[in-house]
Amino acid sequence: MPVLEVKGKKLTLDEDGFLQDWEEWDEEVAEALAKDTRFSPQPIELTEDHWVLIRYLREYFLKYGVAPPVRMLVKHMKKTLGKEKGTLEYIYKLFPQGPAKDACRIAGLPKPTGCV
Amino acid sequence: MEILSREIKPEDAASPVDQLVKLTVRDLEKLPPPYDKPGMEPELTDPKPEWKEKYATDLDGYIAIDLPWKPKNKEEEERLIKSFLNGLNKLLTKEGNWTFLQPLLLSLEYCAKCQTCSNACPIYIMSGKQEVYKPTWRAEILRRIWKKYCTPAGKIFGKFVSGDIELNAKTLMRLAESAYRCTLCRRCTQTCPIGVDNGLISHEIRKLFSQEMGIAPKALHELGTVQHLKVGSSTGLTPDGVKDIIEFIEDDIEDKIGKRIKIPVDEKGADILLIHNAGEFLSWPENPAAFAILFEEAGISWTLSSEQVAYDAVNYGVWYDDLQLARIAAKHAEIANKLEVNKIVVGECGHAHKAITVIADRVLHDDIWIPRESCMPILWEIVKKEKINFDPEKNNFPVTLHDPCNMVRLMGVVEPQRKILRKLAPQFREMEPHGVYNYCCGGGSGFAIMQSMNFPEWRNAVATRMKFKQVLEAFKDCLDPSINKYICAPCSNCKGAIRDMLSYYQASERLSIYYGGLVELMVNAMVDLEEPFVEWEFH
Repeated sequence: MPVLEVKGKKLTLDEDGFLQDWEEWDEEVAEALAKDTRFSPQPIELTEDHWVLIRYLREYFLKYGVAPPVRMLVKHMKKTLGKEKGTLEYIYKLFPQGPAKDACRIAGLPKPTGCV
Repeated sequence: MEILSREIKPEDAASPVDQLVKLTVRDLEKLPPPYDKPGMEPELTDPKPEWKEKYATDLDGYIAIDLPWKPKNKEEEERLIKSFLNGLNKLLTKEGNWTFLQPLLLSLEYCAKCQTCSNACPIYIMSGKQEVYKPTWRAEILRRIWKKYCTPAGKIFGKFVSGDIELNAKTLMRLAESAYRCTLCRRCTQTCPIGVDNGLISHEIRKLFSQEMGIAPKALHELGTVQHLKVGSSTGLTPDGVKDIIEFIEDDIEDKIGKRIKIPVDEKGADILLIHNAGEFLSWPENPAAFAILFEEAGISWTLSSEQVAYDAVNYGVWYDDLQLARIAAKHAEIANKLEVNKIVVGECGHAHKAITVIADRVLHDDIWIPRESCMPILWEIVKKEKINFDPEKNNFPVTLHDPCNMVRLMGVVEPQRKILRKLAPQFREMEPHGVYNYCCGGGSGFAIMQSMNFPEWRNAVATRMKFKQVLEAFKDCLDPSINKYICAPCSNCKGAIRDMLSYYQASERLSIYYGGLVELMVNAMVDLEEPFVEWEFH
């Protein structure tokens, strides 16, 4: 399995770059995941807007065990960052491979499963 | 990398080469304009070198079974073969295969090798006629193993009984992977002049590997049926989670139609228990929302369930494991009975339709038996009896209909959905062929949810290729990107495959082709709605 080194710790990823153990996640791990070009074509520089989304994903996951519906994400962005940034298009701007492949991965959530 | 560069025969499954075939875009069947030009689709990639050490890349370089099951030494290989033969012997007894023994035996006995089935297979045709994707290729491997190792004549006379096959680790890895190069759409079965079911053979191979050897794609087993039974849904969604999303959907409906609808949850004694594929709640909440609006407006007595397993209609067991299938079907029926509803109605999910209404008949014994129905006739009834006022002009854009294999070819629910579209979508046009002769979306039998490593690439380039061709042809008079077009796909699994297809071929950006379910179009046509319900946005 691929390994990600953060602060001297070796974290195991699955073959698609998702953290095997979501409990190992912290903000530094997120930074390292965002810079890992093995699983995304370009490194992602995390800005405050990225963090708004990452924190929301993380909180929702801890409460309900899944990533929230994308529609919910968009609504949250609208509420927090205003109408202009509350669009799916903007989410793709932040996370070019989309909410699942990039945002969930960087937020340390397991890879989405089921018919989603 | 070493491949076989000649016509591949069933006995080549045992070949020591790295990979039997290697696909390139140029081998694949051509797509219609504008995709007939080079550079319109991505090139195909090689598997990462490190994958080859653990996973079975030996067929075509693609990995459906994302478990590290490649044997490391002779002992592991022998153990694998022994356990396979054990499983095969079980598959051929009444006790070991109470579900499909008879059709399996008939299919193993009688193939005339006429290849009528191969010409009906969208994967074989669109792959540029790769031998290894023929419905008969994997069937013939299994048939030869069966004859040579499991029949008295074969044990004595070996290869003289029916062509030789060597049974080694490569044979098994290629056989297992090849069972996941078939979407179980059973178009081959439909066309076979003597009734051989090569789709069933793929299914039985998967079943043998899962039930006997614990080898199945994680998305289907560990994260699929196991998670479904343990947590409540193959998506990981919990009862609290589903309740939260239902509340969100109520808010969303209010935002969109200016009216709050209370979505009934766990209401005892309702007429209908409606079960959605839980993927709808997470990826397409507008679908359960549209159901709620229609059922409310039409005055139907219904409820959803928030009990574990019953808020997810899926039953991935149908694709690879009869035991898991039975466990989930029994749970669905048990919860419906506890709610004292008159029947279960399945939302827009094809395989869930077939699992609970047809196959579950073999599972649901007297005390948990309950009527089960498709949502389609109920939806048509709403339109036919004019229970809601519709204005078809609101849907005046090109619409085509995708037929989910499980619901249409394999169950015969053909007409209600198209009757609705004929009434409510003035620019409705059929794909060719359609109805029971449809082609699979390419996501069938779990492919839409198998997102590991390089499998999505194979699915998009090969398995969904026929569907993409059909879509381009259905819309050939209106490809202009200034015209929004709608693929109506009344099945979550098909929607997932179509979403990935549109993204892979960039067809939403380039041609404004979008997709969604059936109920969304119905709500979009409602006279009472001020704003359109359908949102022309890729999601």
